[in-house]
Amino acid sequence: MDYILKGFIEALKLLVTLDKEVYKIIFLSLFISSISTIIASLISIPLGVFLGIKEFKYKSIFSRVLFTLMSTPSVIVGLVIAILLSRRGPFGFLQLLYTPTAMIIAQTLLVFPLCMGLTYNLSKNRGKKIDNVGLTLGANLFERIFLIIRELKLDLIINIVTTFSRAISEVGAVMIVGGNIKNHTRVITTSIAMFNSMGDYKKAIALGLVLLLISFTVNSVVYSYNQED
Amino acid sequence: MDLCISKLRKYYHNKRILDVDYLNIKKEKITGIIGDNGVGKSTLLNIISGLDKKYQGVVSYDGKKLDREIYKNMTLVFQRPRLFKRSVYENIEYPLKLRKVNKIKRKKIIEKIIKRLKISDIKDNKGHLLSGGESQKVALARAIVFKPKLLLLDEPTSNIDDKSTKLIESEILRYKEKENATVIIITHNKKQAERICDEIITIDNGKVVL
Ligand SMILES: Nc1ncnc2c1ncn2[C@@H]1O[C@H](COP(=O)(O)OP(=O)(O)O)[C@@H](O)[C@H]1O
Ligand SMILES: [Mg+2]
Repeated sequence: MDYILKGFIEALKLLVTLDKEVYKIIFLSLFISSISTIIASLISIPLGVFLGIKEFKYKSIFSRVLFTLMSTPSVIVGLVIAILLSRRGPFGFLQLLYTPTAMIIAQTLLVFPLCMGLTYNLSKNRGKKIDNVGLTLGANLFERIFLIIRELKLDLIINIVTTFSRAISEVGAVMIVGGNIKNHTRVITTSIAMFNSMGDYKKAIALGLVLLLISFTVNSVVYSYNQED
Repeated sequence: MDLCISKLRKYYHNKRILDVDYLNIKKEKITGIIGDNGVGKSTLLNIISGLDKKYQGVVSYDGKKLDREIYKNMTLVFQRPRLFKRSVYENIEYPLKLRKVNKIKRKKIIEKIIKRLKISDIKDNKGHLLSGGESQKVALARAIVFKPKLLLLDEPTSNIDDKSTKLIESEILRYKEKENATVIIITHNKKQAERICDEIITIDNGKVVL
């Protein structure tokens, strides 16, 4: 039991003394997951809103496929991107494998269906009514999509936070395409896995605490937004 | 030339909801549609307004099939007003912003309307948090603010007090006179129909009865 307590104390020390390695890892994690979330949201929110209100053939099949994709295992996404970016792969010439860019690509693709699915579902249930009001007042399609986004803003923020949570906590995709290279592609989740297997518990615990703290913070932001409504 | 409906049929899950052979609604008049619950009144307005396009038959205005140009000059106020999550003022401002009316002009137009409908003191309140009567008035203001030629109203005074009802009725009358608008109003209230309508249509079981 003693080593756990010791690990805890050492972990806190690393955090308060602003340990360079630890903070580099934290910043890279936040950076990659934020960018991925932003890219995925910017595309999937307008698209999800549009498809939610649109009536088209095979809509129920589309819903099903989308919901299945929402839970794609992260290692699968990592594997696919790694194969595409590998030296002999179709995009090998870009030389992106084991770079933060590759990690952003993989995470964006991983969370895209999640953000899209959540938005699509929300729009399917509550978008049509807003769309109809927009139509009666003379709004065109773009104006209506924008109107729906504004009206459902609070719910959409929750979706974005959920998306970010998934991005920052996943380990499979960033591990495979990033390779957990020191000072280059090492993020919180991949480091925890590594430090743990190396027996370096203090760093593993320190990063674990930070990950928890990030989750709690973003979720409490959502909570306070909810209260406002 | 009027609003003309011919051979209109509407089905929901193979059940016939509307079956109107011919219906002429006079231009620049107020036409009341009355009938019991569930006979298809709202369905008819949804079709005229272009929200519902899944029907058989022809709806024309001025001898032309309904198109974008006509839809832009037409509006429908829903039975349950759906106001936006923004202030009353911004709710009424929305259609003017869509039409790129400048800020000063918008303000002038809106101030006049909210004065007439006596909603000046709630102009900063959030639209989606208003009471029934208040939201009916705001919804009417938001609909007529851009001066549509065709005004469709689905039970605009259901569940509200007499004073608000009178106010809304006189505003509808005033609007029709001033803008030479064509107004179609669904109402439960026969007396109301007799008070403000030039023509009255009764619908029963999806058909127009005289
Ligand atoms: N989206 C819908 N799906 C299936 N049935 C509907 C739908 N909307 C309306 N109906 C049915 O159509 C009939 C007419 O409805 P409606 O036009 O709203 O009646 P009214 O406005 O005269 O009270 C009702 O029997 C109603 O249950
Ligand atoms: Mg109705």
